[in-house]
Amino acid sequence: MTEIKPSGQRETLIKADNVWKFFGSVSVLKGVDLTLESGQIHALLGGNGAGKSTLMKIIAGLHPVDRGNLYVCGEEANHLTPVLSRQLGIHLVPQEPMLFPNLSVEENVLMHMSGNRTELRSRLLTLIKEVGSNLDLHTPAGQLEVADQQMVEILRGLIRRARILILDEPTSALTPREVSRLFERMRALSEQGVGIFFISHKLGEIREIAEVVSILRDGRVVLAGPPKSFSDSEIVRAMTQVAGKSALDASDAPAPYKGGREILRVENLCGEGFARVSFALHEGEVLGLGGVVGSGRTELAETLYGIRRAARGRVSLDERDVTHTTPIQSLDQGIVYLPEDRQSSGLFVDAPLSWNSSALVLYREPSWLPLKAEEERFQQYVQSLGIVCASSSQSVRTLSGGNQQKILLAKCLAAKPKVLILDEPTRGVDVAVRADIYRLIDELAAEGVAILLISSDHEEVQRLSHRVLVMDHGYPGGELRGSEITVDAIAQLSFGVTAEEGASSC
Amino acid sequence: MLIRFLQNNREASVAAIILILFVLLGLVDTSYLSFDTVVSIYNNSLILVVIAIGSTLVMATRGLDVSIGSIMGLSAAIAGILMNGGYGIGLSVAVALFVGLLCGLFNGFMVAVLRVPAIVATLGTLGLFRGLVHLSTGGSWIEGLPEGFKGLSHAVFLGLSPFAWIVLILLIGTHCWLRYTAFGRSLFAVGDNREGARLLGIRVRSVQLTAYAINGILAAFAGIIFAAQIGFIPNTAGNAMEMRAIASSVLGGVSLLGGTGTVVGAGLGAYFMTSIDSVLVMLRLDAFWNDMIAGAILLLVLVADGKIREAMGASLRYHKYRKFLEPESSSSSAKTPEIKELSEVRK
Amino acid sequence: MNGLRFLKRWETVLAVLLVGEILVFGAINPAFLRPSTLLFSTSDFVHVGIVALALTLVIITGGIDLSIGSVMGLAAITLGLLWVNGVNIWIACIGALGVGCLTGILNSVAIHIAKVNPLVITLGSSFLFSGAALVLSGLGGASGYEGISGFDASFVEMANLEVLGLPFPLVIFFVATVVFMLLLHRTRFGRYIYLIGQNQRAAKYAGVPQFRTLTIAYALTGIMAALSGLVLASYFGSARSDFGSAALMPAITAVVLGGSSIYGGSGTILGTALAVLLVGYFQTGLQIIGVSSHVSNALSGGLLVLVVALRSLTEMGRAQYLQWRVLKSVGQAAR
Repeated sequence: MTEIKPSGQRETLIKADNVWKFFGSVSVLKGVDLTLESGQIHALLGGNGAGKSTLMKIIAGLHPVDRGNLYVCGEEANHLTPVLSRQLGIHLVPQEPMLFPNLSVEENVLMHMSGNRTELRSRLLTLIKEVGSNLDLHTPAGQLEVADQQMVEILRGLIRRARILILDEPTSALTPREVSRLFERMRALSEQGVGIFFISHKLGEIREIAEVVSILRDGRVVLAGPPKSFSDSEIVRAMTQVAGKSALDASDAPAPYKGGREILRVENLCGEGFARVSFALHEGEVLGLGGVVGSGRTELAETLYGIRRAARGRVSLDERDVTHTTPIQSLDQGIVYLPEDRQSSGLFVDAPLSWNSSALVLYREPSWLPLKAEEERFQQYVQSLGIVCASSSQSVRTLSGGNQQKILLAKCLAAKPKVLILDEPTRGVDVAVRADIYRLIDELAAEGVAILLISSDHEEVQRLSHRVLVMDHGYPGGELRGSEITVDAIAQLSFGVTAEEGASSC
Repeated sequence: MLIRFLQNNREASVAAIILILFVLLGLVDTSYLSFDTVVSIYNNSLILVVIAIGSTLVMATRGLDVSIGSIMGLSAAIAGILMNGGYGIGLSVAVALFVGLLCGLFNGFMVAVLRVPAIVATLGTLGLFRGLVHLSTGGSWIEGLPEGFKGLSHAVFLGLSPFAWIVLILLIGTHCWLRYTAFGRSLFAVGDNREGARLLGIRVRSVQLTAYAINGILAAFAGIIFAAQIGFIPNTAGNAMEMRAIASSVLGGVSLLGGTGTVVGAGLGAYFMTSIDSVLVMLRLDAFWNDMIAGAILLLVLVADGKIREAMGASLRYHKYRKFLEPESSSSSAKTPEIKELSEVRK
Repeated sequence: MNGLRFLKRWETVLAVLLVGEILVFGAINPAFLRPSTLLFSTSDFVHVGIVALALTLVIITGGIDLSIGSVMGLAAITLGLLWVNGVNIWIACIGALGVGCLTGILNSVAIHIAKVNPLVITLGSSFLFSGAALVLSGLGGASGYEGISGFDASFVEMANLEVLGLPFPLVIFFVATVVFMLLLHRTRFGRYIYLIGQNQRAAKYAGVPQFRTLTIAYALTGIMAALSGLVLASYFGSARSDFGSAALMPAITAVVLGGSSIYGGSGTILGTALAVLLVGYFQTGLQIIGVSSHVSNALSGGLLVLVVALRSLTEMGRAQYLQWRVLKSVGQAAR
């Protein structure tokens, strides 16, 4: 099966030479050069949409190379298929678990592996112990929590004796204890000569484990070398630097908050994924909701909007009780929610643009649709938001990510919000659109709309918010206002507890 | 606890429903409760069991085949024509099975390679294959099949015919194949998460193609049993069997969304669908109650199943968020001052 | 503006195919081109069209209704039973339509409660309804599989009535086409239908009343299936419980051929209506030039296979071509 070389003599496992990849007319990779040697742990770093995951999927055979060359162990491999890639000893642990929900953990891990079942099972049991997990082999994978699902994906990669292992953000749902166990396994594998690509957003982890780091931005490798040769700020600058003016100019600050009437009041709210949340939101105020992914912020927003039910507590809008409402009632009261995942819950990607912009106000329209008014409304948003499109009847899918996000914003604005909940409003958009959206948020606040801004980008929270509430594992972690709002302070509050835990277990 | 057991062992729930049916029968007349009844219902259910096995394979890959009735008819007609044309029984049956294989491969090609939605593709071939039946027979019935062929459906051992034994072996064989071999499991993997299966290096298209091909062969085999059992082949042979096959599989716990189910469950489902017929006759009720009872039970099972799943989902969700949802008397009161403070600051 | 865009539409392709088909059959047998033949041969298939229109709505929502054939039979038997028991024929018709509406509501409620694939639920209910039709006709003394006949003459004549020179069933079909077109493309309800089919999750976030919309769609399908059953009962002069069993697959074929995606989200009423005529004339045309009805059935199946396979291939080809074009244009910039 896999040939394992002693770590002394190194072999080039992967060599990417000016690799390009297009999705539709959008280029995701713009000439990437990269090499992976046997026994090397190679970290990849980059913002959303920088092309890390795409590059890894190409190596795993899920997408073909459109231009340039990819070599696996010296052989040209531009037309990999998943089957071929597996035969070459490449295994990808994807970012989003791709499990078989109806099959058991054991079947999920051992699926499509050759060899004696009993032997494989005992190897799996040993491995589970080694990574310090307590997975039950017979549970259907669909019933596992996200962290355990991710563990199953990782086990799949570890048990397969791959020559090239790709771990795409494996640590995002793991506890610090599990992370350190995983790192032990990774080191053991690299000593056996396995080459590992490791994608992570956490600089600390990369410094701890990686021999080489490559930083991708906008489809290119912009910085590469051993992690210790770069300072943190060098790395962050490489990731975020933009040609021309930076959109995240530190001097940029929200328009001064003039103070306004209290409009939304949340008292001791408990629900699915968060508890004891209390805050008040005022007209014209941008309240940032900071924290890490999975800290209960989206669940809180969905509860306010009426997608999920609150367990206890009270929400009032203009003194009226709106704790238990349906989305239609929320819309009617002026609470509008912009979902974080625009493809799956925000937009109707195959529907015409104008249908999307009027989706939230449809219920207010007469049964006989005024198509002309709808078209006019759409054109108005095309102008005010600067949406680039050919006609109102083209489908959302044909637009770029940034314009899609603007359509989503148009959909929310059409509902004339009093309270606007923005969940990751700049996810996956380019710098220019990001600047547009920031300006828009400033303007909306100036017009008196109360905005609850959820973002995992601390700089974004700092740039936009008058006040910041940080969520930590579902509980309010602290409040910052005025000059207290800094990236570091937000990070500290959102990681407050975890940093200590991480230190003690290492 | 019981509900959970039945949920996880759909075969057991179908078996329980069948048992209830027999108990009902026993209340009317105890003499019906005999091994003979069980065997005779099994003999009547052979065709349905075979195509239910095939449907299970296809549905496991998240596919669907509504053309099986037509494949049954076509294969039976081909076998009949060959036998009456003087060819040997073995050869005729082999050719008929081969025709079934071709039909199945054609369906599989449409679905796996051309990526036509399964129901649309097989809807087309449903008409196409049925037309081939009429073309091959010239529109007339095929009668006077050789006695040796019809004899295959007569009891030889323990009240079971050669066909009945073959079907039993087939059922057990397919069950083990699906459960214990890598390829069998990959059928379920493809149905459960196509992209995930692709990522692991499973040849998704070949797996789909194989499922449809085997399904075609099984449909052909069902057609042959049909011909042997009734002794002649009408042009409508196999008509509307696809719906019964899918209903049997669904009743037996096979999901149309792929990834779950066993052939044993599907076989029990088929047995149940057949037993309604026989039981009605024994209860001296008119046969026309059959479909209504089958439909009502199928709907009840589906709705109950949905309710149970919903309840389990809710409890799973509750456990996931338990620490946030359960009231904590001490901390919630301790937190109240903070709100006051917050609002005071704002004012 | 874009004057040629309509050429790319699937409806245009269907219309061209329809005209071409009529011309080809006419060239082989000029009798086919006689207006009376063209008009009155529709009575053989127009009942499929009536139910296919409503089925289009359900399929656009991403659902399906396999029980339409059974509902056709059930409605016809209901009509027969009411008539036999002395109810006025027109009131009996309303009763039958009411039963159709109820079946649709039952389907929708069952789908809502069980939260499983509509395919499975309506498969189950198709057994239930066809079984109910059999039971009713059995209990009604129509000795099991026999039909109920001897309807009021005015009802039987309906199918042969001419309105403005058109056969009455065809008029029903045309009127229904217009009504459903307006309903689907111009009303809020129609918009909801599309939105649910395109992205159920986003529809939930946008507050679309899903259960209500779906229930209306399924109820309309039930009513139209019942109407279709009544048209058949009038055409044949009798009501049978297994009336509609042969209409299910052609109805789905018409919707799919008409351009609706079986996964939901797209489709038009005009497409379905054109596809009904296309398949219907295909079969009558074949029969007029001397092909047996069984073979023409097969060829209709073949037509569906061919069309969907071609559509699938052109889609793949188009994707390849776009990719190639992008590569070519960007490639020059890159090098």
